[in-house]
Amino acid sequence: MIKDLRDKNETVWNRWCENASAHPDRDAVIHWIAGEEPFRWTFSSLLSAAKDTTAHLIERGIQKGEVCAIILRHNKHLYPLYLAISCVGAIPAILAYPNPRLHPDKFRQGIEGMSQRSGLDWIFTERDLEATIQPLVAGTQSTIKGLHFPLEWGEERGSDSPKKMEAIECTASDSDPFLLQHSSGTTGLQKPVLLSHRAVLEHVNRYSAAIALTESDKVVSWLPLYHDMGLIAAFHLPLIFGIPTVQIDPFEWVLVPSLLLEAVAKERGTISWLPNFAYNMMADKITDEELSGLNLESWRLLINCSEPVRDESHRRFVERFRHYGLRSPVLSCCYAMAETTFAATQTLPNAEPSLLAVDRSELSKGNIKPVAHGGQARICVSSGRPIDGCAVRIVDENLNEVPDGTVGEIAIASVSLFDGYRNYPEKTAEVMRDGWYYSGDYGFKSDGEYFVIGRKKDIIIVAGNNIYPEDVEGVVGKVAGVIPGRVVAFGEESESLGSEQVSVVAETAVADESGQKTLRLAIVKAGMAIDVTIGKVYLVPPRWLIKSSAGKPSRKANKERILAAREDLELRNA
Amino acid sequence: MISNELKQAVLEALKLDDWEFADETTAAQVPGWDSLSHVNVILAVEKKFGVRFKNLEVLKLKNVGDLQRLLDSKLEHRS
Repeated sequence: MIKDLRDKNETVWNRWCENASAHPDRDAVIHWIAGEEPFRWTFSSLLSAAKDTTAHLIERGIQKGEVCAIILRHNKHLYPLYLAISCVGAIPAILAYPNPRLHPDKFRQGIEGMSQRSGLDWIFTERDLEATIQPLVAGTQSTIKGLHFPLEWGEERGSDSPKKMEAIECTASDSDPFLLQHSSGTTGLQKPVLLSHRAVLEHVNRYSAAIALTESDKVVSWLPLYHDMGLIAAFHLPLIFGIPTVQIDPFEWVLVPSLLLEAVAKERGTISWLPNFAYNMMADKITDEELSGLNLESWRLLINCSEPVRDESHRRFVERFRHYGLRSPVLSCCYAMAETTFAATQTLPNAEPSLLAVDRSELSKGNIKPVAHGGQARICVSSGRPIDGCAVRIVDENLNEVPDGTVGEIAIASVSLFDGYRNYPEKTAEVMRDGWYYSGDYGFKSDGEYFVIGRKKDIIIVAGNNIYPEDVEGVVGKVAGVIPGRVVAFGEESESLGSEQVSVVAETAVADESGQKTLRLAIVKAGMAIDVTIGKVYLVPPRWLIKSSAGKPSRKANKERILAAREDLELRNA
Repeated sequence: MISNELKQAVLEALKLDDWEFADETTAAQVPGWDSLSHVNVILAVEKKFGVRFKNLEVLKLKNVGDLQRLLDSKLEHRS
């Protein structure tokens, strides 16, 4: 299965064609819908549908190199559409379907911002979003040429299309852009990552070796396809490798978390990737009744990724499901990001990730020391060793490599590195130097393994989704009663959630209890308009926030100050 | 019409002081009631009333009125 790419100008489309030819009747995508029989695309039926859809794209004038955003809910027609966009040499970019909480104006602004940066050419969506997105088509601030509604397309296709299609296939090259991924977010701050056919194929070849992927594997996933973990690990990896993937609706899974276990048991799934919060959610929220009759023994790899890994979440998960056939070496971790296509490091399959109990106070100073008796320990979970084709180093602020056991920024060089953020040279220059990508994550190396412990950047990760504090501060700063510009947002650890939650500190002159209660609610509602749940609101008097040297409230300093003040209050009340 | 008992169960699950619920109220309109906290609301209602909802029943709920009707049918079935 693993091929050497050096001698071949191969595209992902070629690989899909090979798989359809080699395993025509093997399941490719098993489209899962709660309470119904799943729809099964085989490798040949998927390719055939993709070719039909390609004809529709050609008739609509979709050109090579154009960026095609897909904004669809969980639908079996999404997969052939995605393949078809690639077939015409255009660039698919899956975007999140808007949550009902997200205000239509905010959603439109997000698309507009993305359009300016990514150069979105076409949007493939559902009729429900037409009124919201259509104004952008004629807008001067947008590159969008038009909307298409692929779920309404019939089966007919143009007579000359197959010939045209053949010609387009011939022009595809391994260095051509294959897909565009966006970091999550709502107001246009997303950074677009462009990946070539070669980068994705190189990654699949090497990562599949790192997790010892075989033809008998089957991926089961509820992850959204607009997220790199869902798109690369749970969609492209199996389809390129030639094994099935079960795709569960993320909206259904989050309401009924047992759906993942049901799909694993029924389909005899072997591999899933999950963000850390999902371990807590399934361990805590699934009832015995839902588990009745389920057998999870087929699961061989459960890979924790996209959020800081918490050992406590792993322990809870294993304890909850070990009576249902869950095998103990199933736990696994990887460190991944869109900029390296996906994984940079991975723990060994069939071995639990290494743990290090380190002294918390030493860790805060950047040193890794075993916790002494009576000291406060932080359990650090290994994300494994670099996968083949990847090099990782830990550097100080001058970008010099630091010794093992010292905390620094994680830098990665990889054969599947991205070609830079699309139309964003200044942002690319910030993170790329001499072929190394500087991740903005903090970590350390010990015995050849890498441990990720925090972030240099202020981004907040809630349940695997990136939230930019600027977005939250922007809307909260406009709430009547909040002093404009005097707000900071940050991520606060939530043990029960197994993730972070968004906290806000806002200055206000409102001092009475009733007024503050009203203001807190107004702040939470402001977050709802951008689909962000604000978990905690701290109201402070004017001039409370500490400013950075740039004159803006400092997120780090104010987070430390408010958490210390809260701890102090809790101690006094204890 | 949303019963006061159901309202209190939802408010407690979301740690909200108060909120006006109508039949047409959707989760998206209620502070703190997002996809992550939805399962907490359902578990809190099940616990308070001693009922169990099936997965498909939960997925079909569109608004608080649907939740009230589902709860009522469970309670009626039980008595």
